[in-house]
Amino acid sequence: MTDRGGVVAAATGVEALTTEEPVGRPTGWWGMVMFVATEATLFACLLGSYFYLRFQHGPVWPPDGIDKPKLLIPLVMTGVLVPSSLPVVWAEHGIRRGQRWRLRAGLAATLVMGLSFMALLVIEYREDLTHFTMTTNVYGSLFYVITGFHGLHVSVGLAMIGWLLAASLRGGSFGSHRHERVRNAAIYWHFVDTVWVAILFTIYLSPRL
Amino acid sequence: MTARPGPHARLTGGLLLWYGVLGGAAAWAVHLIAAWSLDELACAAKSERIAGVPLWQALSVAVFVPGVATVGSLLVATLVLRRTGQARAAGAHDRALERSRMLAVVGVWANLLFLTIIALGGVAVLVFPPCQG
Amino acid sequence: MSTTTSTPPGIGRDDLARLAEHWDEPRSLRAWFTTVDHKKIGRRYLVTAAFFFVLAGLSALVMRTQLARPESGVLSPQEYNQLFTMHGTAMIFLFATPMLFGFGNFLVPLMIGSRDMAFPRLNAFGYWVFLFAGLFMWASLPFGAAPNNGWFAYAPLNQDQHNPGLHMDVYALGLLFLGISTTSGAINFIVTALKLRAPGMSLNRVPLFVWAIVATAFMVVFALPALNTDNALLFLDRRFDTHFFDPGGGGNVLLWQHLFWIFGHPDVYIIVMPGLGIVSAVLPAFTRRGVVGYPLIVLAIVAISIVSFGVWVHHMFATGLPQLSYSFFSAASTIITIPSGIQIFAWLATMMLGRLVLRTPLLFVIGFIVTFVLGGFTGAMFALTAFDQQVTDSYFVVAHFHYVLLGGALFPILAGIYFWLPKITGRMYHEGLGRWAFWLVFTGMHVTFFPMHLYGLFGMPRRVYTYRSDLGWDVGNLISSIGSYVLALGLLLVLIGVVHAIRRGRPAGPDPWAGDSLEWSAASPPEAYNFPVIPRVHSLHPTWDERTAESTTTGATKDRILSEGKRTLFTSELDARPERAAQMPEPSFKPLVLAGVLLVFFTALLLGAYPVAVAAVLAVAATIAAWLWPPRRPDEEIGIAS
Repeated sequence: MTDRGGVVAAATGVEALTTEEPVGRPTGWWGMVMFVATEATLFACLLGSYFYLRFQHGPVWPPDGIDKPKLLIPLVMTGVLVPSSLPVVWAEHGIRRGQRWRLRAGLAATLVMGLSFMALLVIEYREDLTHFTMTTNVYGSLFYVITGFHGLHVSVGLAMIGWLLAASLRGGSFGSHRHERVRNAAIYWHFVDTVWVAILFTIYLSPRL
Repeated sequence: MTARPGPHARLTGGLLLWYGVLGGAAAWAVHLIAAWSLDELACAAKSERIAGVPLWQALSVAVFVPGVATVGSLLVATLVLRRTGQARAAGAHDRALERSRMLAVVGVWANLLFLTIIALGGVAVLVFPPCQG
Repeated sequence: MSTTTSTPPGIGRDDLARLAEHWDEPRSLRAWFTTVDHKKIGRRYLVTAAFFFVLAGLSALVMRTQLARPESGVLSPQEYNQLFTMHGTAMIFLFATPMLFGFGNFLVPLMIGSRDMAFPRLNAFGYWVFLFAGLFMWASLPFGAAPNNGWFAYAPLNQDQHNPGLHMDVYALGLLFLGISTTSGAINFIVTALKLRAPGMSLNRVPLFVWAIVATAFMVVFALPALNTDNALLFLDRRFDTHFFDPGGGGNVLLWQHLFWIFGHPDVYIIVMPGLGIVSAVLPAFTRRGVVGYPLIVLAIVAISIVSFGVWVHHMFATGLPQLSYSFFSAASTIITIPSGIQIFAWLATMMLGRLVLRTPLLFVIGFIVTFVLGGFTGAMFALTAFDQQVTDSYFVVAHFHYVLLGGALFPILAGIYFWLPKITGRMYHEGLGRWAFWLVFTGMHVTFFPMHLYGLFGMPRRVYTYRSDLGWDVGNLISSIGSYVLALGLLLVLIGVVHAIRRGRPAGPDPWAGDSLEWSAASPPEAYNFPVIPRVHSLHPTWDERTAESTTTGATKDRILSEGKRTLFTSELDARPERAAQMPEPSFKPLVLAGVLLVFFTALLLGAYPVAVAAVLAVAATIAAWLWPPRRPDEEIGIAS
């Protein structure tokens, strides 16, 4: 059955085609996935509005003599936030085997990385605010509202991570039989990370294209 | 055909069924967003070319590729219909079989609908000049 | 014999006692505020939405009184603007969707053979938020601060410099607040339908009403964010001087329209789809057969809910985009009529092939078909762009969408009220009163709205608070106003019928219609635990199917009685194979508290008390943290590797 024809035949046989998929997901997982889906649509609307307003605006973008966004801090922010999903994954795999120390260590690492991201966002804002604000023009509105809205989501994600950490430090909360909340918070955190990549492209990279 | 499929083949088969049901819908969504935004953006920039390619050719790609994906989805849905029909004729009566068969019926008709929408878009690309207001 | 009739075979009396002990809520004030029972919450949705319907309907009556004669002075222009805006906004957001969610809440767990929704406390939370958001919006009216820009609130008129005061802040914040309820309710429906179906109810045996509710819920999940984005940006523009819709700062007013109709067109189907589901649920009982072409109706439901996202630009054919762009959208707008037609013809075929039992619910279904098809007919006329440009913003449009919405939502809702009243209250309604109500509603509706086609074509614009008498619109307007009183009288008879049934109605019994879906296997009104034995489903019409009936009596098994604790059964997503018995949550104050704190948050934002708003956000976070805080369990139970 290792040749290609055999594999195709097996995957298109009636037994494979009637396989139940998706299957066996808990209600909490579905709830979080649907919540993330609606949140992702929200960000899609915001980023779509960015491109719509940009292309309706005219050739010069950013307008009114505002410089193109600098890339150094955002790239460092990316370097901090995107890898912060890894400790969560590691922690989640740990608690599935009942290893509480891995849960605590992984969550703490993610918490530190997420807080660093927020600190960098504040530094970035302090620099930008000397040049333009939310009320300067539509570019300023888009810039601060989109990055700020994402920052709000990172804060919510951090609240979830901190909450999980507090519950796991108390003890008696999570173990190999009870880790649904860890998994759901992890899904949310991965989502917040992924959205950042889209924002990096839209806000910081696309004006340079 | 008689060998029991392994877990990978089962997963592929399960996903293949969903491609047969929703593939056309996904392809149409891609077609709509791609064709609409290409046309709007190019025309707003007062140009009938995108990166050197004439706009109508770019739009044709945005019709053709999703169209092919929808045909593929339609073929998969038909395949599921045939396979489940054969199994039923051979005397199998199981919930998963009936459920897959109903999803396949939905898939065949849905794909025909979406194929029609995409094809109508293709006709429009041939008939209208891209930026006529 | 008397002992065996009180206890069904297959389940012991001790099991019933245990089920009652775990599920029954005491009749106390505390229980009233803490309930998580989907039936009570569903009932509250129905009653509250009906209350908002009365308010919005009375607004319409006042407007029709103003318009009955030319140049009358019942209302000032400012009052008229607020009334027509609140009428539209409330009918769409506070009546139609919540009313249908109320039916869904009451019926979905019963139809799929479950004991509650997937997230009962989230369900209670959704109700409280709906109630508070509705009161939040209506409370602005006595202060003369109600929204005044039409239900779609176009930019630039919604901007602060053109429309000062709190009006549009109430609109933006009220809809954002309400959106929390609608979204959480939608997610709850999806997860409930995926995971809580009775064993054996694979996707090909799911009732059409449940398909319709789930499709609606998916549309909400993907469409509502566009409205929320729109309203959030509007609030920022008005309060914090951003420039999203302000051309002076580089913004664009058309962005409002795009985002609004990306939401708005799916929303038409969000309103109509559950109504179509009600029709598919009512027909089998009154035609004595299943709806013709089950897979094709499922196809229609799925296809409509997807294609509805690709037609929004057809609301904006008057805005000057390239013709080719339009044609991608008009292709979708044309094709979406095919699945709609499939449903109509499937129902007609069902009625032709079945034996008709002409009772009030069926009368309303027939009224729905007539009215809805007429509304669809004028809808197709708009596809002629030249005609569309001629009648845009005239009373012809008002006539069209009232035919669609009264036909597609109100008639099915009324059919549903009469159909399920025996299930909800345990009492039968008075058939004669019901027929009178139907004929008055049907006549009143057509007398009100049919003339609008005519004076719309004669040029009367919508949203004017009065008109001069030399324009030839007098007679038509007078007829419309008379019709609206007839319509109101008919709706009053519906209300009287409901009260009469509750007070005087004869006991209905579990299955007065000999219906086909599982809710007719439960008692009327259902026990707190819905089903003493969770059925094992063998067909698409489980109540007509003897094997399914047997599974709850002589074939009852321990794993479907689940009387140790407040438990229900989780099954697999597609084929409903049993997975595990799940513990359901106990009543709680937290949903009410969370909704209350959110009310404080939105009120503080409205009044500009931002420190209070920040404090409310912290309270929200604390409430959620406490809500989800895991109980402390011994290490062995949760599985800790030492």
